Amino acid sequence: MSFLKRLALSSLLALSMGTTAMAQYYSGEHTFDGENKNEVSASVTTGKNIITGPCIGNTLHYRHYFDSHWSVDGGVNLQYSKGLYGFKAKGQYHLKIKSFHMFASGEYMFNHYHSYNTNENVGNLSLRFERGYWDITLGGSFIGYNMMGDHYTEPVTLTFGAHATLRPRTNKWNVGLLFRNFDDFYYENWNINWGLDFYYKFNPTWKLFGEFNVRPAGSMSQLASKYETTGKVGVIYRWK
Amino acid sequence: MEITMKKSISYTLMAAAALMAASVLFSSCEKVSPTGVLIGNTSVDDRVKQSLVNFSVLEVAWDKYLADTIQEYSFLVGSDSHITNDPGRLEEMLEIGIENDDLFFCHLGDLADTKAEYYNNTEIAIEDATDEWMDKYLKPLVKEDGGIYQDTTLYYDPRTDCVYRKDKHNIFPTALPFYPVVGNHDITHNGWALFSRLFKTSFYEFTVRVICDNDTAYDRFIFLDSANGTLGSYQIDEIENGFFQRDNKKIRNTFTFTHTNIFRPSLNEFASTYCREELYYILDKLADWNTTIAFWGHVHAWDERDFGGVHHITMPSMNFVDHPNGGDDLLVRVTVKKDGSYKMERVGLHSKERTKEELKEQGYSVIGK
Repeated sequence: MSFLKRLALSSLLALSMGTTAMAQYYSGEHTFDGENKNEVSASVTTGKNIITGPCIGNTLHYRHYFDSHWSVDGGVNLQYSKGLYGFKAKGQYHLKIKSFHMFASGEYMFNHYHSYNTNENVGNLSLRFERGYWDITLGGSFIGYNMMGDHYTEPVTLTFGAHATLRPRTNKWNVGLLFRNFDDFYYENWNINWGLDFYYKFNPTWKLFGEFNVRPAGSMSQLASKYETTGKVGVIYRWK
Repeated sequence: MEITMKKSISYTLMAAAALMAASVLFSSCEKVSPTGVLIGNTSVDDRVKQSLVNFSVLEVAWDKYLADTIQEYSFLVGSDSHITNDPGRLEEMLEIGIENDDLFFCHLGDLADTKAEYYNNTEIAIEDATDEWMDKYLKPLVKEDGGIYQDTTLYYDPRTDCVYRKDKHNIFPTALPFYPVVGNHDITHNGWALFSRLFKTSFYEFTVRVICDNDTAYDRFIFLDSANGTLGSYQIDEIENGFFQRDNKKIRNTFTFTHTNIFRPSLNEFASTYCREELYYILDKLADWNTTIAFWGHVHAWDERDFGGVHHITMPSMNFVDHPNGGDDLLVRVTVKKDGSYKMERVGLHSKERTKEELKEQGYSVIGK
């Protein structure tokens, strides 16, 4: 067998293996890559809002992928200037439907707003649909809070979000635009968060990511004033 | 090639659908500004800066309610009148208040939809009620020696010792004690220019002097600008810098009035649009002020609850669209008794919307045939 024939055959084999792997595992953002079952991310957020002025904080997440379908996620949020401390736990099921990827998730989140001695409990059920360049999220949030000895549970609120990227989700780098009424550690009612995000994969285990977010105050015809502007940058590390 | 074409067509269709959805969402209602997606109309910071300048003049005129000699006083609260061609419901509210001897009127915003004609009609309603109110209560101000002041625009309210200046071309502060806050529908399409011409300020307060424990005290009335779904950094700075504590008055009751609601009456109504930290900040601040009743508008639906030691009232709207036949519970009257306790009652509005022909005949500005 000539060198060229061997090269062509091995290339074909490698390509078919890659195709098979891609068919089995969806190695997009925050999904199982088929090898690394553990993922940790750490980030720093800083910015300015109308309540506290300048603000800075950290978030830390750990995710475990059981297989290409199931994963669990735990996170901690420490916003020092805001006096906001929280944690969350999330379970997610991933299903491929034709060319779509669907993620069904259930989440519990607890936030303590120290300045107002307020405890907030949030439940969320969401469905996320992904394709190569975009994703949309729809769901419902259940938000209750305790302060000053009283409790209030808000009627269920719609959760929605949309995100579009410049490159395919599996690309080494990407830049995207997003709008949504939630973030890693809050679910709002009708307040939409507009943002620009990016990531860069150094290698299969290390990834740099970041977001720039603007949170306008109010909704629809109320819109004219800004509530908060933040920037977030962090790293993701994956291992077997 | 065909797949690429299909993809392109599919993405183009999706983008078009998204644009159409955005257009419908942001411009289907003419009161919803399509420019308000990221940056829209007057910001709350600008309004508060302007309000504080105007308030520095108005404060002298307003801070004169002296109820320490009367057994009780009452005030009437309405919300979301959304005046268009017919300001009839506002006129009815003011007539009811004058007939009942309510000391003043409060309005929780979305007073008129933002067209010059609608504000002309609002102004007519206020002016007519002012005349009625002055005829009923005010006496020309006379000198101590019984002489008449040269300035014949000065009047005197024997109930409260207030002195008023009546000037048809500058109706505020005139006699009619009507205290509105600004709502989101008051600020779209440059509505703040229309609102502020009549009412000058969106962030202010006044007090009513009372007797508490044999000592002079005050009931404080606080009006906050939340038309943008936020108090904004400038208003919050003013609050934190002690705007409401600057005079060290002994406060008996505090009543607050603002447009954007905190509590959601039911699943069918819009949720609060304050960002979460601000929502908790406001609830905490109301408790700090020992607020007796906090009034909210915006959602056009009734909600009543106690939270954090504060009684919260979210008001129904009083407009013709939501209530074409009126209702028995569209306004709230609060009667504050001499001992500081209060009684609250719901008050009805039942006027029917007039035809455009009738309105034209009566001198209102009418849009449409």
